[in-house]
Amino acid sequence: MERERLTLRHVVLRFGFLIVFAAFFVLFSVWNPVFLNGGNLLNIVEGSAILMIVALGLTLVVATGGIDLSIGIALDFGAAFAVVAMSGYGMGWFGAACIGVIGGSLVGLVNALLVVGLRITPFLATLSTFFIGSSVQRIFTNGGGPISYRRMPTEFRNIAQGDIFGIPSEAVIAAVLVVIYYIVLERSIWGRRIHAMGMQRSAAIVAGIRVNRILVLCFVTAAMTCAVGGLIAAANIRMFTPLSGFSYLLDAIAAVFIGAALHPRGRPNVLGTVAGVLFLGMVANGLNLMGLNFNTKDALQGIILVSALALAVAQRRARTG
Amino acid sequence: MRAEARLSAWLSDLVGYLPLAILIGVLAYISLNAPNFLTLRNLELVLMQSLPVVLVCAGLAVVVMAGGDDVVSGGIDLSIPATAVLSAGITAQMLTLGYPLALCAVAALVACLVVGVINAALVSRIGMTPLLTTLAMFVAVVGVNNVVTASRRINVDHPWILALREAEIGGMPLGIVLVVMIVGTLFVAAHQTRWGLNLQAAGGSRDAAEISGINPGRLVGQSFVVAAVTGFVCGFFVLARGSGSSPGVQDNLMLEMVLATFLGAAFSPRRVVTLWGAVLGAVLVAAISIGFKSMGVNVFWTGLIKGSLIVVVVAFSAMAQRGR
Repeated sequence: MERERLTLRHVVLRFGFLIVFAAFFVLFSVWNPVFLNGGNLLNIVEGSAILMIVALGLTLVVATGGIDLSIGIALDFGAAFAVVAMSGYGMGWFGAACIGVIGGSLVGLVNALLVVGLRITPFLATLSTFFIGSSVQRIFTNGGGPISYRRMPTEFRNIAQGDIFGIPSEAVIAAVLVVIYYIVLERSIWGRRIHAMGMQRSAAIVAGIRVNRILVLCFVTAAMTCAVGGLIAAANIRMFTPLSGFSYLLDAIAAVFIGAALHPRGRPNVLGTVAGVLFLGMVANGLNLMGLNFNTKDALQGIILVSALALAVAQRRARTG
Repeated sequence: MRAEARLSAWLSDLVGYLPLAILIGVLAYISLNAPNFLTLRNLELVLMQSLPVVLVCAGLAVVVMAGGDDVVSGGIDLSIPATAVLSAGITAQMLTLGYPLALCAVAALVACLVVGVINAALVSRIGMTPLLTTLAMFVAVVGVNNVVTASRRINVDHPWILALREAEIGGMPLGIVLVVMIVGTLFVAAHQTRWGLNLQAAGGSRDAAEISGINPGRLVGQSFVVAAVTGFVCGFFVLARGSGSSPGVQDNLMLEMVLATFLGAAFSPRRVVTLWGAVLGAVLVAAISIGFKSMGVNVFWTGLIKGSLIVVVVAFSAMAQRGR
């Protein structure tokens, strides 16, 4: 067996993305020492919690070989159902949280119906769910005004603002979901089946995997996960803001695909998604601390996103040949 | 047995015409309820309103032709609306600073070509999937445009740009004539020239094209540059339609572009994205939006209607495909 040579080219291709990650980390900490503060690093983790949760849901759908453009709608529905359950029907915090998750799952059910029942491609099916869901929110809120509920029970507010042993509870929720997703998607027979159908759908069918059942479960689980993100968003600002979920869509897609590009075989995977989310969170936080103008920051973030994706994909191709 | 097969083929043909029939039915319903809808003046308004979407749809159709019509792994360019907005932003900003229109146009064209070339390089050299590439480029280009315009609305009253909206040539609005000429040129290029046939071959079956000596990667790259040019032209129509550049135009433009182009696929006999289908789709989407507005339907409902339309049309065309 030939020994691998540690040439510069080899190192760059193998660890390219990690090098970029580290380079940005060093750049930000040199620019503004506050970046390295324990408190600020915790800020990054806390600030990425919702994106992390949404991106986990998307990872599941992308692993089946599809895409879900309606994850933001599921997030909005989760927030809306929970807030209305509390403010309109006086429900307790736990009941409201459950109602929120069930409300979010409706979005997944519609997607599953369109994709499995009517055999519409996931891209177009979830795009129409997005259109319909946005419109429903506009109609319900009479044009998109927020539904505020200042007297929210403390327990519900603690979903976002409390802490468990000093760690912000939203970060704890995100971490627990990461562990569950990791076990299910990467270490269990269900995960094997999901990846199998994502890679070779017809082979999976021949092998006796019940593809349609998996698709339905994945769309619904993804939507429920995003609804949890919605609960956190609603608890954070004590209101439901219609159409706010859309802002997570592009970042979540980017995180999932950065993660897929880091995988040896280019598969979407939980740990890769976590790396992608933390990278995006770090860049956003670091650019903020640089004190740049808002527009410049936005543009730089977009350019870094394109470059990071290009590098991650180039790295994978160079490795697999 | 034979008769049964013929019956099922006939049924699937029938189902195949349903998408178009449904859209025509919706339009008929609108014209019954909004008496002014079918007047010549209003139809002209519909066409004028649809011009920016028609242009980006034509660009997208070329990209889909070259890359194949699988939405996730095939050819798609979601960055065209961002390119259009960048073209509008640069032109508006430079006009405000007092540069002549020609110079503004050249600067905008260069910027748009850069976007197209980056798309092309990322997709055909590095091998990123078009969906991912162009989505990320959409974000980046919109970000750059926000720096150019400082996220503000910029009014434009240059007579040449307003002429796209107001001037007439031989009794026809100048804007419509220009867009018909551009789409016609693209059609001839895609269907009558050697380049166009190679392009369609590359999209139809990449492997077969490669074996017969076509370089699909290069054609895919070129299609992104063509799309960027349509985005550049669209920028001027965006300026004319809104009397200037305003932030946020790109989002609606992108949704309407995707809606119209893939609705258009339902009109083609083989259910593939075509240039004419995309253009027809864009006009129909504009007609339906304006129609419901003139019927007095609450604007909050338009998203619901558009979403349901995609579902109905695409579901029927999937059914017709299966019946075959």
